[in-house]
Amino acid sequence: MMIREGLLNRIFLWAVTIAGLIVIYAPPLYLLAVSFNPALQPGLPSLSDLSLKWYVSLAKEQALLSALQQSLLIALVTAVLATGMSLLAALAYFELRTRRAAWFLTVILPMFVPGVIQGLALSAVFTRTGIKPSSLTVVAGHFMWAMPFAFIVILTSFAAVRRSYLVAAADLGATWWRQFVDITLPLIRPGLVSAFIFSFLLSLNEFTRAFYLAGRQNTLPVVLFGKMNSGASPVIYAMSGAIFLVSMCCVALIAIRSLWSVSGTRSQR
Amino acid sequence: MPRPSIASLLMTPPLLAIFALGLAPLTVVVIWSFWTWDPLTYWIKPDLSLAGYAAILEAGRWTVIISTLVKAVGTALLCLLIAYPTAYAVLFLAGRRLNIILLALITIPFFTSYLIRSFSWRLVLGRTGVLNTWLQDVGITQAPLDWLLFSNFAVVVGLVASYLPFAIFPLLLSMRRVDPTFLAAAQDLGAGFWKSLTTILLPLTMSGIFAGFLFVFVMVVGSSTEVQMLGGAGASIVSVMINDVMRVANYPLAFAISTIVLGVIFGLVLIGNRIFGLASLFEDQSP
Repeated sequence: MMIREGLLNRIFLWAVTIAGLIVIYAPPLYLLAVSFNPALQPGLPSLSDLSLKWYVSLAKEQALLSALQQSLLIALVTAVLATGMSLLAALAYFELRTRRAAWFLTVILPMFVPGVIQGLALSAVFTRTGIKPSSLTVVAGHFMWAMPFAFIVILTSFAAVRRSYLVAAADLGATWWRQFVDITLPLIRPGLVSAFIFSFLLSLNEFTRAFYLAGRQNTLPVVLFGKMNSGASPVIYAMSGAIFLVSMCCVALIAIRSLWSVSGTRSQR
Repeated sequence: MPRPSIASLLMTPPLLAIFALGLAPLTVVVIWSFWTWDPLTYWIKPDLSLAGYAAILEAGRWTVIISTLVKAVGTALLCLLIAYPTAYAVLFLAGRRLNIILLALITIPFFTSYLIRSFSWRLVLGRTGVLNTWLQDVGITQAPLDWLLFSNFAVVVGLVASYLPFAIFPLLLSMRRVDPTFLAAAQDLGAGFWKSLTTILLPLTMSGIFAGFLFVFVMVVGSSTEVQMLGGAGASIVSVMINDVMRVANYPLAFAISTIVLGVIFGLVLIGNRIFGLASLFEDQSP
């Protein structure tokens, strides 16, 4: 059955949608294009003199490179922790019957705490308890930021887990662990992978928490922020472009995979 | 001894983490906000005092809090105006393949750097930026417009660009639950598109509208990069103000501001949850 919006309304709805997407995407994509321009002045490069000059000179930026290394390490640890913890949290949510809403809110609430406040509060606690700022303190802050997102992603993947599957397995004598390994885990694996990638990216791009929690080695966004405010050099465009591109590709990868699986399940029905 | 249930076993590790890294630091925030700070030594002392809160009334700090809240409400409303038609287009107008592509495009911004996205607006709005160049080429303006960048205008544009996806997502989730037969039935009975939109779709998606508003509001209240990258001289927002106060390690004042902000945010979240049941938005129909 079709809803008839009428041509004009349809045009209006699409126009707003496209305008929204332009507001989100046009500036960073422009920055990406600028990063391939060999000239010092920012501007769109002509197709003939596209160049990777600034990307090549990234290799000489020691400060950026060691910050990148630090950020990747922190993001990896954060992603492992956030995915593991939110898997537990999501399994608990699935098991719970009465207190579900309260549990959901408990896990989700840290997402609403502003980054500055959370970073500052954590650093106050760490200083008082004598914990020195290091990569681990940054992980602590990033973990709290990434976990609610990972939790929501894993939770939505639980839609694939029918209760009847588990009841059937239990009837056949499967323990809780056996049900988890043989039924739940395979069904939610795509959700786990997405949650891992998303937490990794959230941590990689996080700025305000790391600002307060980082030790001697700053993370990449913190270093970038400093450079952005002390006169723009094309190398910053290249670094920003590279990060933006990598982040986009990761999410696009997940989308393409779900495109495959959707067309797969739809055709089976 | 009764065996602990599986649910409580599963809940223990995440709960411990949330307590240690989330709740405990926030408790410290509230407690320290009642301490005192010595401007000569920068030391803080555990007295019970309201000095931190009193200092909010000085130096126009409360106006920053008010203007932050106004920006948050304004941005949230703007985002909803764009997000509602977008969610509708994604769900009801787009075909299956386009639907997934659009969903991906809406998801990507969550996981790209806010820093880079705000920074890139400088290239667009600056004196020699894309917009000013274009306006002059077309002949709409003779000289570059100075108020485009480092202004409240730039900040709001940056905020909308950053947090628009936070408004779209809850709307998508709530609209997906609306049975399209309702809309079709209304039209069969003679209701036009706008009539069925306002009498059927809007009331049925109130929870999504509220959640979208809430998410954007909260994100703006906690934002700092947009103001730091795009705001004019002296422009401030709560997060930036906390940053500034911390230059002299004035924990009581910084945490007094934080306590007020957290109070507003958590108050809204809890009220919203009471009225609309935020959790139900994310629950899928698993039987």
